[in-house]
Amino acid sequence: MAEIGHGGKEIKERILQPSEAKEKIKGLTEVPIRRQLANEVIGISYGFFSPLEGFMNKADVDAVVNKMTLADGTIWSIPILFDLSDKEVADYGIAKGKTVVLTYQGNPMALFEVDDVFEYDKKAMCKSIFGVDEEKHPGCKRIYETADKFVGGKITLVKEPTINEPFGPYFLPPLKMRQVIKEKGWSRTVAHQTRNVPHTGHEWLMKGAFFQTYADLPIEKPEVGVVVNAIIGEKRVKDYIDEAIILCQDELEKAGYFGPHNHITTLTFWDMRYAGPKEAIFHAILRTNLGITHHMYGRDHAGVGDYYGAYEAHHLLDSVRDKLDITPVYSMNWLYCPVCAEITSEGLCNHKDKQQKFSGTLIRSIVTDGVKPPRLIIRPEVFDQIMACSEKYGQGSPFVTEEYLEKRTSVFNIEPL
Amino acid sequence: MSAAKNPIYVWVNEERYEQLQKAGLAHHTEERLAGLKVLVVYATDEEAKVLVDKFGAKHDTSTTGSIELLPAKVKNKLFDKVVEKQSLEVVTDALKDLE
Repeated sequence: MAEIGHGGKEIKERILQPSEAKEKIKGLTEVPIRRQLANEVIGISYGFFSPLEGFMNKADVDAVVNKMTLADGTIWSIPILFDLSDKEVADYGIAKGKTVVLTYQGNPMALFEVDDVFEYDKKAMCKSIFGVDEEKHPGCKRIYETADKFVGGKITLVKEPTINEPFGPYFLPPLKMRQVIKEKGWSRTVAHQTRNVPHTGHEWLMKGAFFQTYADLPIEKPEVGVVVNAIIGEKRVKDYIDEAIILCQDELEKAGYFGPHNHITTLTFWDMRYAGPKEAIFHAILRTNLGITHHMYGRDHAGVGDYYGAYEAHHLLDSVRDKLDITPVYSMNWLYCPVCAEITSEGLCNHKDKQQKFSGTLIRSIVTDGVKPPRLIIRPEVFDQIMACSEKYGQGSPFVTEEYLEKRTSVFNIEPL
Repeated sequence: MSAAKNPIYVWVNEERYEQLQKAGLAHHTEERLAGLKVLVVYATDEEAKVLVDKFGAKHDTSTTGSIELLPAKVKNKLFDKVVEKQSLEVVTDALKDLE
């Protein structure tokens, strides 16, 4: 049976068999790509970005910028761009109708069938996607740093990535993810977007969303699964290290705060654009393709600084609800109340002057000191896992350092064909 | 030199709390986040700048107003100095030791 993804289109993996791949790449010009583009090649090839079959041509980018759709009218909020300098375009002979082979880490990764080479007004693109065009916005900065030309065209993977330890078990592309959901017997699933090690505020965001998603379903057997989908991409100094994020999320299940009957940890390769509302739409698309039925959104989803209002993403989602195949679940903040003596929701507890809000900064401060917090703040098993990851993967720190960036093992490799 | 007004949170586990009790300093701790204890020491603006410039700290002006992301070695030194000097005015001395 066909698996239908975003926009009502069938999800098809664009991956060649190794024997066919070897034949197809013979004699083709090799074009090396950076990590971000390799991530996006994976996103396209496995159907995370369905119905996209490749990097966007000008017609699609125009539609994304002007109408928040693809050229065919399907909702789409973030341009997926492949950039090259004028010199590279000339050196590689990039032109409409030409097929090249994209290489990563020196090895062939994907065929790229060029169908468009174009320039674009980056300022206009930024204004539309991010609501601002200033370089200090990290999403704008990324756009401004792209090279002179954009190249559109279909992508086909010639070599599947080898996902390195400890990430391998968590890489579940759309078709595989949908199979897992069927095996678990879940009729509804709710996505939890994360780039964090979980404290109990996060845990209760998931638990709250679980109940909201369960709603009117029968309770005789497990019907709802929380799908933690960690975004693995560009790291900045002082972010949590990827290994700690993924293993600590999974620790919540392993230590019994969730179970395999209602929880799974997965990852998607993507460099955050911090586009707030537009990124919320993009996340809805990604998780639709993963076969997830509901998506949790908290305050200032995928925002940065004070660029977006707390509920701006919710409003944009509501404006296109009939065009999305996933149901948004809106979550209030969770906090600790010493009077209630529990983690509770800001929408429930009325001890306003006693509430102790979770602050990412304070939690980081506690983790840095290596002081084990009360189990009502960070689960002891999660804290132990943070410390273990710090030693095993982070050169003694659970946060990204220059040393970590230099010495870390790649999340994935492209091996020789 | 400006007045010390930039808080630094030094988190206190059971072991640290015992040390503070022995030194007669346990009453200086405050409870935050589900009873987790913290010692708050203050840095002057000049000291805060050194902590940011030399030790990669961040002045969190948007939420806590505190000096954050200090490496563990700096926090440990601040705690040790509190116990040694039996005082919360320890940032100057700690910075001297760390130079």
